[in-house]
Amino acid sequence: MNNIIRTEHAAKSYKSGEITTTALKDVSLEILQGSFTCIIGPSGHGKSTLMHLIGGLDRPTDGKVYIGDVEISRIPNSDLARLRGKRVGFVFQFFNLMQGLTAIENVEIAMMLAGVPDREQRVRAVKLLALVGLAEKAGAKPGQLSGGQQQRVAIARALANDPDILLMDEPTGNLDSVAEAEVLDLLQTLHRQGKTVVIVTHSDEVAKRAERIIRVKDGLVAH
Amino acid sequence: MNLSKLVYKNITRRRGRFLFTLLGITIGIASFVTFMALGGSLKDEIHRETAALGANLVVIPKGSCGYEQLSILTGDQMPTNISAAEIATIRAIKGLTVVPFLAQQTAINNKPVTVSGIEPEATLAFKRWQISQGAYFSNPDETGVVIGATAARQFDLKPGATVTVRGEKLPVLGILGETGGRDDATLFLSLPVAQRLFKSADKVSYAAIRVDDLARTEGYIEKIREATGLGVVSDKQMLKSVLGIVGTVNITLQMIAAVSVLAAAFGIINTMMAATYERKREIGILQALGARRRTIFLLFMLESGFYGIIGGVTGVITGLATAVIVTPYISQNAFTTFVKGSGSGDIIDIKMIAGSILFSTVVAIVAGIYPAWRAARLTPVEAISYE
Repeated sequence: MNNIIRTEHAAKSYKSGEITTTALKDVSLEILQGSFTCIIGPSGHGKSTLMHLIGGLDRPTDGKVYIGDVEISRIPNSDLARLRGKRVGFVFQFFNLMQGLTAIENVEIAMMLAGVPDREQRVRAVKLLALVGLAEKAGAKPGQLSGGQQQRVAIARALANDPDILLMDEPTGNLDSVAEAEVLDLLQTLHRQGKTVVIVTHSDEVAKRAERIIRVKDGLVAH
Repeated sequence: MNLSKLVYKNITRRRGRFLFTLLGITIGIASFVTFMALGGSLKDEIHRETAALGANLVVIPKGSCGYEQLSILTGDQMPTNISAAEIATIRAIKGLTVVPFLAQQTAINNKPVTVSGIEPEATLAFKRWQISQGAYFSNPDETGVVIGATAARQFDLKPGATVTVRGEKLPVLGILGETGGRDDATLFLSLPVAQRLFKSADKVSYAAIRVDDLARTEGYIEKIREATGLGVVSDKQMLKSVLGIVGTVNITLQMIAAVSVLAAAFGIINTMMAATYERKREIGILQALGARRRTIFLLFMLESGFYGIIGGVTGVITGLATAVIVTPYISQNAFTTFVKGSGSGDIIDIKMIAGSILFSTVVAIVAGIYPAWRAARLTPVEAISYE
């Protein structure tokens, strides 16, 4: 199986005035296509930074990051944005749905940004909401949905452009155990369908479901 | 989902802020439109009225300023200082057709109306009026009124009806055909009757003069001045002088309107800046979902532009409504008489409406540039991590 994500000596530091903070020191890792990987580690040790780098949300200050054969740390911003839209689906801890839009519109917006025509967006969004078990909530606004339901809408949105990779930052961090189990079952189903799932988490429940665990500590990866 | 639907949803999500920002641009554009509507048609009106006066020269009391010249065109009340003897002196100069006017005002149903005392035969020949209903004055001092077409419609007057001027009931003799000028809104009395009612003795306010030989206009001016000591202006001088006054008024109005629109523009900047702060996280999500910087920039610019278009439309409607409603209540003076003379038909000018909406949109788009640039400049991580 091929590597879908690869980092070579990736490092990230932030400058604030005179102070430089190093979030990641020297991370080289490979994640196989179709795998289910968890990135775990204490808070503030660089897990989220690593996720941002491999998802193309941020660029390393040193080293290289690849998605497939594309070195994403070097490509222009607009190409990086297009790549994020087509190849990576993000899910965040706080769901991050657009509050003024309905569930189905939240799913459609990802397709809109990828240039999918309106009618096709609607057909596909209906299917995706059915996939996450929320067909009947298509017209509900985020405020009318429970935390678990919101996170399932966020997963449907992440799947909108049929990405290879699902990158998730504490996707069950705000859910009760029942909702957490539902979301994890859904993620396992998606993984079985061939998606590469990468989850940043503190949760043992989540980590238990992973095929591979990457531990991040002090900005370094402990294999 | 498409970008325009997203823009609409974003804007209307916070209804209170949307309405208040819209109100700001509406008021700005409304004042702009009101001032433009009131002042904009003046120039054309002045050209039209000067042509309608049909005079090459106008004799006015000595020392009269531009304001008196404006009053001739507006039909506003004027001092009556030119005596019959002076008119006779001017008439003695060969090559001139001289028609004196007494410019006064009265009120019908509490609405001010211009009254003009005229020499019936001389004025009819000078102005080339048509009589649409009833009859014209049959002798030089007939007691009665001949009414302009608009005034007849406005006060529902027909031949045979009576009009009270200075406490005296006068029969309506006839209605003039449309002239397209101030004469349409004027009551005409024979000069002796007007002089009696307004206690002007044998005096008149001004005299309109047509010269037989245009090449000798300057010579005529000199002759009249020498013979009477009165002020004489040519139609071109009068036009220049009156347009000068109106130009100053227009510039003042336009500056006030510009300040209103500028204030509205800052309202939009404020709203859009607040939106960029409040929606930082959303901007991050959009970026994570594949939105490019130019998409974020466009999104915010479209939101600003939306305010401009909607604010422009509501501002134009409000401004025109204000112009139409307020005009009759503006206190009487030469400037506002012109405004009143403009009528709603002239106030509603398609070019001005389209221009105002375009102006509002452009102002809103320019106001949106900085907030949109700020929003587009955010990095995905910076935006997503915003608490």
